[in-house]
Amino acid sequence: MCVGLSAKVVRIADGMAMVDASGAKREISVQLLNDVEPGDYVMVHAGIAIAKITDEDEHETDEVMEELLA
Amino acid sequence: MSDAKGKTAAQVLADYDGPRLRIMEVCGTHTHEIFRLGIRKLLPPQVDLISGPGCPVCVTQVGFIDEALWLADQGVTITTFGDLVRVPGTTRSLASARADGARVQVVYSPLDALEYAKAHPEEQVCFLSVGFETTVPASCLAVEQAHAQGVENFSLLVANKTMPNAYAALKGSADVFLYPGHVHAITGTSLCEELVEQGVSGVLAGFTAKELLTALAVAVTKAQEGEPFFVNAYPRVVRPEGTPAAVELIERVMEPCDTEWRGLGVIPQSGLRLREAYAAFDARKKFDMPHIEGKANPACRCGEVLQGHCKPSDCPLFGKVCTPQSPVGACMVSGEGACSAYYQYGGDLL
Amino acid sequence: MTEVSGKVTLAMGAGGKQTAKLIDEVFAARFASPLLTADDAAVLEPPRGRMAMSTDGFIVSPSFFPGGNIGKLSICGTVNDLACMGARPMYLTCGFVIEEGYPLDKLAQIAQAMADTAASCGVTLVAGDTKVAGKGQVDGVFITTTGVGEIVEGAAPAGAKARPGDAIIVTGDVGRHGCTILLARDDFGIEADVTSDCAPLWDSVEAMLDVTNDIHVIRDATRGGVGTVLYEIASQSGVGVRLDAASVPVDPAVGGVCRMLGLEPLYLACEGRLVVIAPKEQAPALVEALRGCPNSGGAAIIGEVTDDRPGWVVMRTEIGAETLLPQPGGELLPRIC
Repeated sequence: MCVGLSAKVVRIADGMAMVDASGAKREISVQLLNDVEPGDYVMVHAGIAIAKITDEDEHETDEVMEELLA
Repeated sequence: MSDAKGKTAAQVLADYDGPRLRIMEVCGTHTHEIFRLGIRKLLPPQVDLISGPGCPVCVTQVGFIDEALWLADQGVTITTFGDLVRVPGTTRSLASARADGARVQVVYSPLDALEYAKAHPEEQVCFLSVGFETTVPASCLAVEQAHAQGVENFSLLVANKTMPNAYAALKGSADVFLYPGHVHAITGTSLCEELVEQGVSGVLAGFTAKELLTALAVAVTKAQEGEPFFVNAYPRVVRPEGTPAAVELIERVMEPCDTEWRGLGVIPQSGLRLREAYAAFDARKKFDMPHIEGKANPACRCGEVLQGHCKPSDCPLFGKVCTPQSPVGACMVSGEGACSAYYQYGGDLL
Repeated sequence: MTEVSGKVTLAMGAGGKQTAKLIDEVFAARFASPLLTADDAAVLEPPRGRMAMSTDGFIVSPSFFPGGNIGKLSICGTVNDLACMGARPMYLTCGFVIEEGYPLDKLAQIAQAMADTAASCGVTLVAGDTKVAGKGQVDGVFITTTGVGEIVEGAAPAGAKARPGDAIIVTGDVGRHGCTILLARDDFGIEADVTSDCAPLWDSVEAMLDVTNDIHVIRDATRGGVGTVLYEIASQSGVGVRLDAASVPVDPAVGGVCRMLGLEPLYLACEGRLVVIAPKEQAPALVEALRGCPNSGGAAIIGEVTDDRPGWVVMRTEIGAETLLPQPGGELLPRIC
């Protein structure tokens, strides 16, 4: 229902940011997030950033599994 | 469980030997990724994955496409996500209207639709606003900006939907829900916690192979413990509080209403419409649209598929008159629909 | 060479002096060769042995894009179609339909790209035709090329010849042309450093035929991309195809654009990539030979032909499960919501 794309913020001005996903760049709105800075990763959907994120699922899934199987 | 330590999610799933378990992935993007990755092949036979109603294109009522076609016939430029272009209305799709000369522009974002309107002041431009909580903020942002900038040739045809009352309607369709990660990135996790109190179990899932397998491993493991549960298995994106600015934006611009879900019927207060303050951007009001009622094919069993009561291949139309190239039912119209994914990725063939 | 300026007019298509001037200054000056006819037809030496002949029409919007233009494309397309039959391209003809008002300097650039590309693969332009259509009747320039080639003795690749156990090779990363055009149209506000793979591939085919004539299928993966070609071959040969998703080469930026728009790179067009199917034991030497060619340096084995599920393309996914590659579905539409 909601194709998301994780992308790195390259530059930012007036609530709009240029984001980069493996070399594919696009301007999106970051108006809904606080404290986004160049270098941060965001989840992008339909031209707006919906969340600030960490870019890799490795730690996340490791931690969830550790907790589950502890 | 100490011997389980260090197991991978795939091993946990492969080793599951508990009772039959029905897991519903609510989100259409989950459905798509689960099929694309072949995750069903890694599950033991007693784990059923049911594809729920979380594909906005699938649950959009037939009449909505008819409304968009009506606007196109009045000379309005239709801007839309690519997802809707091939969806059949009662007699035509936007693709066939475009072939007949209608202006149909595919956009990546409602904000792009607004930019298109600003660049083409001589055209009336309407964006087809479908989607759940994840997608609604982008539409609302476009309307707020259009309002602030005094853009008068831009409007929305709204068929947005929200999940809370849909969860309530789906209660009992599954033992565990895989909650849609990006909806809850907006709305947060409080609803999921409340549902535990009502006896509804769920796991919030991300979209990569690792995240989906992990969420499913969590689902089968916790389900064996017997108590209702909720686990956020997508913490890198979903915070408990969600994205408050997005929720506030939605509340400023839109308000809840009853709405029909294709295949499921009317679910009270599960739809959104523009607030009176933004009536000038509501295409139905702006163009004095008559009431338009669409007609869906009565033989289609999408309603049962969406609730997990039957498999896509149990429907008499599936793969015969109803295919992704010429879809009849709701679940075949979008690449994220259960029937379409089942057909395209070889549900019964492999 | 004469510098040209101004615009194409309807008078230039009327057959008189102005037509002659257009042809002389834009086309003949660039396509000059002893074989280029000034009469009604070219008079040529026939190929030795068997000959292949192919025709293809080219419309692309925009007509100039990173990595080429419609002129280069129109030569590569027909040269590659001939090459796929094991034929050394010899002669080409070209027909232009040009929209009234098209800038002459751009037309000259297109003609120059055609001449350069033809020269680079040893094919001669021998005849041409020019028509001018009224404003709005065509979009810029449409080109049709027809080519004749000489089939290398012993080579007989064909779509129906894939056999279970054969290896499937692709001659480089997939989807770049389609991605380039999508970006050049600028419908989705996305920027990426992606260049079309548009290239003539006769030298790649020749290098393979130097290794062995025992090549079962060669196809250029144009419209519909590698995915569509594999479905066509599976159906023509009555075999199954198993792809290993991890071995399909995709440029990272093409991958990024595809993820942004929910598209599958295997369905984006290529204009300089071949799908090659050959006996497994020949595959490593073929890949090595391809990697020595300027346009096929990224050649890789991406899968195998099987005898199960004839007509279908099965993908081994990143988690080791098998699933179907969805069948080609017409117009590519971004998936967002």
